[in-house]
Amino acid sequence: MILAKKSVLGPGEARTRTRQRRQMIFLGVSVVIGGTIGGLTGAFDQGDGSLFSGDWDKLKLNPAIAVLVSALLVIGFIALPLRGFGQIDEFKRENNFIGFTGGCLAVLVGFPIWAVLYAGGMLPPPHAFGIWLLGFFGMFASYLIARIRA
Amino acid sequence: MKNRLKVLRAERDWSQAELAGRLDVSRQAVNAIETGKHDPSLPLAFKIARLFDMPIEDIFDDGETA
Repeated sequence: MILAKKSVLGPGEARTRTRQRRQMIFLGVSVVIGGTIGGLTGAFDQGDGSLFSGDWDKLKLNPAIAVLVSALLVIGFIALPLRGFGQIDEFKRENNFIGFTGGCLAVLVGFPIWAVLYAGGMLPPPHAFGIWLLGFFGMFASYLIARIRA
Repeated sequence: MKNRLKVLRAERDWSQAELAGRLDVSRQAVNAIETGKHDPSLPLAFKIARLFDMPIEDIFDDGETA
C-alpha cells in the first residue's frame, strides 16, 4: 500500500506558513526599497565624487531626488526594522540584538584603531562613510555568527 | 538548559513547524530550544508548559534540582 503524503496542514503548520509568507513579503519590500535607493542615486548622480574616497565636495544630486532618497532611507533604516522587530520572535530578536551590539562595538573600537593607524601612516584619514561601513559590516558579521552558532 | 521538548513533540507527532505555529514562534526558535542553544523567556516557557499541560520543571531542567 502506498502511503498518502500528509497534505493537510496542522493548525500550527498553517500559522508557520503564514508567518513565513509575511516575512518573505517584508523582505521583498526591503529589497525593493534598497533597489530604489540604489537606482535613484545611480541614475541621478550628477557629480564626480565617491562615498568611498571621501571627496564629499564633488557629490551632487538633484535636491528633490535627495529628499526622496532621504525619505526612503528613513523607511529602510528606521521604519522597516522597527516594524520587523514587531514581527519576529524572541529568538530572532536576540540574534538581532547581537547584530546591533556587534555593529556598535565595531564603530566604538574601529574608529580609534583607524585613527591611530592613520597617525602611524598606515591608513588614509578616517571618514564618515568608512565609519558607517564599519558599523554596517560589524552588525552583519555579528548577526551571521549568531545565526550560525544557534 | 536541558529540556524534553523534542520528546514531547514527537509523542504528539508534531513537526517543528507545527509546534512553532502553536507557540507563535519561528521554526528556528523551536529548533534552537530543542538543541539547548536558546533558553526560552519565562512567558514562552509558560506557554510551552500550558501547551503540553505540564509543569515547567517537568519540561525544563536547569541542572539545579536535587
